[in-house]
Amino acid sequence: MIPIMAWRNVWRSPTRSWVVITAIALGIWAALSLTGFATGMMKSYVNSAIENSVGHLQIHAPGFTEEYDLQNQLPPASELSTQLEALPQLQAYSMRTVVSSMASSSQGARGVMVKGVEPQQEAAVSAIEDKLVEGEFFPEMRGNAVLIGQELAEKLNLKLRSKMVLTFQGLDREITAAAFRVVGIFDTGNTPFDGSTVFVERADLNRLIIPQTDSTMVQSDLVYEAALLLHDVNQVDTVAALLETALPGQEVKTYREVSPDLELYESQIQNVSMIYLVVILLALVFGIINTMLMAVLERIKELGMLMAIGMNKLRVFSMIVLETILLGVVATPIGLLLGYLTINYVRENGIDMSAYSEGMASYGLSQIIYFDVEPGVYSQMAIGVFLTAILAAIYPALKAIRLKPVDALHSF
Amino acid sequence: MAVITTKGVEKVYNPDKIPVKALKGVDLEIEAGEFTAIVGPSGSGKTTLLNIIGGLDRPTAGYVEVGGEDISQMSDNVLIDFRKQHIGFVFQAYNLIPVLTARENVEFVMLLQNRSKTERHARADELLKAVGLEDKVHKRPAELSGGQQQRVAVARALAPKPTFILADEPTANLDSESTANLLDIMARLNQEEGVTFVFSTHDQRVIDRARRVVTLVDGRVDEDLRR
Ligand SMILES: Nc1ncnc2c1ncn2[C@@H]1O[C@H](COP(=O)(O)OP(=O)(O)OP(=O)(O)O)[C@@H](O)[C@H]1O
Ligand SMILES: [Mg+2]
Repeated sequence: MIPIMAWRNVWRSPTRSWVVITAIALGIWAALSLTGFATGMMKSYVNSAIENSVGHLQIHAPGFTEEYDLQNQLPPASELSTQLEALPQLQAYSMRTVVSSMASSSQGARGVMVKGVEPQQEAAVSAIEDKLVEGEFFPEMRGNAVLIGQELAEKLNLKLRSKMVLTFQGLDREITAAAFRVVGIFDTGNTPFDGSTVFVERADLNRLIIPQTDSTMVQSDLVYEAALLLHDVNQVDTVAALLETALPGQEVKTYREVSPDLELYESQIQNVSMIYLVVILLALVFGIINTMLMAVLERIKELGMLMAIGMNKLRVFSMIVLETILLGVVATPIGLLLGYLTINYVRENGIDMSAYSEGMASYGLSQIIYFDVEPGVYSQMAIGVFLTAILAAIYPALKAIRLKPVDALHSF
Repeated sequence: MAVITTKGVEKVYNPDKIPVKALKGVDLEIEAGEFTAIVGPSGSGKTTLLNIIGGLDRPTAGYVEVGGEDISQMSDNVLIDFRKQHIGFVFQAYNLIPVLTARENVEFVMLLQNRSKTERHARADELLKAVGLEDKVHKRPAELSGGQQQRVAVARALAPKPTFILADEPTANLDSESTANLLDIMARLNQEEGVTFVFSTHDQRVIDRARRVVTLVDGRVDEDLRR
């Protein structure tokens, strides 16, 4: 009967109860939406990094990514391809020659990473082709074609069909310079990437870095980076382990290791949404305490009578706690449903952040955010509210059991 | 045999500030089955005495025995259980739990005693019939008149078959018809169930129905009449 009493007590002041229930539900909704936003932003950042050229996995010769020393080559591309193609989890791969270089125009010079790629392979791994805002993705029959980012185009005042010069060390450590013609300009939304990365054909780059005196090298076998795209991102660690045994001595890195900022970002976002959650729940604690305190204080005589006729302190305490939990029990499904609907809607339709996109793009974030949450978030939220309700109930419940029946019965 | 024994019971309110001596040594024995009125002028200590006998308050000096047990020494938690097992209460007002029906209110103390549902229902229906409210079983207190509420309170007090029932001015808020009706019911239940009643009152018509009248004056027993 105590649960029944508690339930009916909740509805003695329907307006007051609905106010708290609404507050709790809105709190849950807000916490879910913020988490959805943060997770969505994080995923979009990670995905854009993966799409822009990182891929799910990268293979390099040991030490290559530290100095970009061209002596650290991968095994011949023809052998490597055979091994990669044997992997069932693999969706696509791109063999790249990567050179650290100086890009210059009449306007100035900037340091860039030059990625020499095979157009068809690269198109299957990265989304650069889709991100072109001008020009074409390596039109055929053009020697020394280069794709540059919008940011670099602005900084060096380059346009479609402009010429730029790339200067870098060859295999023999001699400085080489070559003129390239801009055939396409991309805008990934990630300003730092767009300002510091250019794409050329691997054949062109290999021809330039192999000294003309060297006749033993097979141009098409020279490769420094293999970027892999898997069917399922969740298999990165499995495939990484497989590759490490298949390619002893080579460095296999997941996208998290390639861009450690991604991992940092993932954990930061988790912390941030945790802080949101705690702040919201804390605000709810005070709202609930206030309501339950009112509920106790206006029932002093009744509580005194209950204790006089033999309801013990534990039962009175439980009743007050139960009343508080019931508020949460009504509010939680409403809040979860609202949050679920919001997240699902924005997961499909996205939310346009272009008003803030200048700032967002400079952090490598895309302009449309699609909400997303880990599935466990809903149950975490429910548990959080449950614990909050219990926490908030303690003070009012203590207040209730500290009443002395005589005083309570004779108070006015 | 005495159900209630008070020996030298004194009560001082506000001992630190302005002390009020509400009881100045009350010796009283209430026998099983008695129907006793505690009367006296306002401020004479009736409520104070009933609270102390009922284990709701503690004497400053002296002791109270109920069924041979000294309740003055019991801890708060033990006292709550003791009240639940042995004492029925009827207060002047705020007797009933507003969110429960008449039957649920009557069952409530039995529920706290973990009695079975069948037993509770049967006893509640029997008592509600005895107080003439068999047609109000499912009504909540707010839907009952003051007199009907007090009758439910009497049924609630009686339900767990307590050692005695204490009622502090149970008729103070009732009109004369309801008062007579409630007294009829209390007197009959006293006869039929043999339950001991101790009640305080100002009302001469209530006093006339009592078989023992204890008069308090200024915190002392001034007169003790049996008839
Ligand atoms: N909680 C209290 N604090 C201080 N003094 C009190 C308290 N309760 C009662 N008193 C005082 O103790 C004395 C006895 O009061 P009590 O309520 O027992 O009288 P009563 O006979 O029940 O009076 P009434 O007929 O008006 O109900 C009175 O002087 C009263 O003012
Ligand atoms: Mg009184």
